[in-house]
Amino acid sequence: MNCRQVEALLHAHADDQLDTLRGRSIERHLRGCAGCTARRDQVQALRTRIRTEVPRYVAPDSLRARVRAMADAVDASSARRPVPRRERIRWLGGGLLAGCAASALAWTLGTTLLVARASDQFAVAAVTTHVRATLDDRLIVVASSDQHTVKPWLSARLDYSPPVEDLADEGFPLAGGRVERLDGRDVATLVYRYRRHTIDVFVRPHASRAWSVVPHGVRGFNVAGEQGPTMDWLAVSDAEPEAVLALVRRLAREDAAR
Amino acid sequence: MPTHHLFEQSVLPHLDAGYNLARWLTRDAHDAEDVVQDACLRAMKYVGSLNGESARPWFLTIVRHAFYDWCRRNRPAALVDDDGSALDNAADDESLGPEQVCMRRAQSKALADAIAALPLPFREVVVLREIEELSYKEIARVADIPIGTVMSRLARARALLQRSPLLHAIN
Repeated sequence: MNCRQVEALLHAHADDQLDTLRGRSIERHLRGCAGCTARRDQVQALRTRIRTEVPRYVAPDSLRARVRAMADAVDASSARRPVPRRERIRWLGGGLLAGCAASALAWTLGTTLLVARASDQFAVAAVTTHVRATLDDRLIVVASSDQHTVKPWLSARLDYSPPVEDLADEGFPLAGGRVERLDGRDVATLVYRYRRHTIDVFVRPHASRAWSVVPHGVRGFNVAGEQGPTMDWLAVSDAEPEAVLALVRRLAREDAAR
Repeated sequence: MPTHHLFEQSVLPHLDAGYNLARWLTRDAHDAEDVVQDACLRAMKYVGSLNGESARPWFLTIVRHAFYDWCRRNRPAALVDDDGSALDNAADDESLGPEQVCMRRAQSKALADAIAALPLPFREVVVLREIEELSYKEIARVADIPIGTVMSRLARARALLQRSPLLHAIN
């Protein structure tokens, strides 16, 4: 091999990606050529520097949690699959334990805690619903930023008429809506954008158990609930918690209903 | 096997690899999360068709696609053809004075900065090769280019790095 041929393969050689035959003939050339050897050494020095000085970034835990929640939701949505036996037993055990714990606590702490548990249950259900819709690509069934399009669409499919308001001026443009099954009934779901995030807002008339959800994180998503004058509001998103809370508080004023 | 099991076994172990690639391509922690999340959604849809194929290059291919789709939506300007000649010219540029070069070199992040400054086609092969340590064949699959192009792009990328004004210390 001459210098030109070697130069073409020098990187592949430094990367140890050549077959033995070509590798050997390059080695032979390098032994007799100071110029090519220097070039090879430069490539290797650069490679060593990259390996020792350049970071390999690590996925944040919050991302990992969110991705896991998504994977769980895929199966929840496509499931009618039988639960494997061992899982069933574990569930049963867990259920018994949780049941015992719950009744013991209820005895001692009264109803406050039960309300908290119920609200957490809503939050988890809301997150699962949101993730499932994201996965199935059906976050938005009626796409419109016009409240006068979204509201009648929702009203026609529900036994109530939710207040609908576009809040683009306040940083939350309305993107559309859909209907979801949540807490045992069909509820209006408004879809807002916030920067590059999507916020799902579930709206229903007051029920016996309010959705007063303390803002918190569930499996990497942020959830906040608020009671308005006529409706219950519950928002879910991977946007920052302050934004989710701000939107749900703003909507719960129900300006659009007046 | 349920999707979440397949996904946990085949894709989640490579979440760091996917995030690392996305982080270098987007050059932003938050954007990288968006890209990886999108890639995971896609991976979940197709993880069932991953028949014995090596999961890491497979997932990295998806991350790369998700990145370019994200880029078309959010940073179309980053996708113009760039052969790195602007970087070569910058190497001759007097605007980066010796003191500045010295200061940058003093920080050990000079090399990382130089890689982050590479045009996309060169940056991705460097990250896949030097940080993810993929073989040429795997890089060819992930970046959707022939092996010969992997070789020439790596050579060009390294030449750009060696000439980079950010790290004249290499020799």
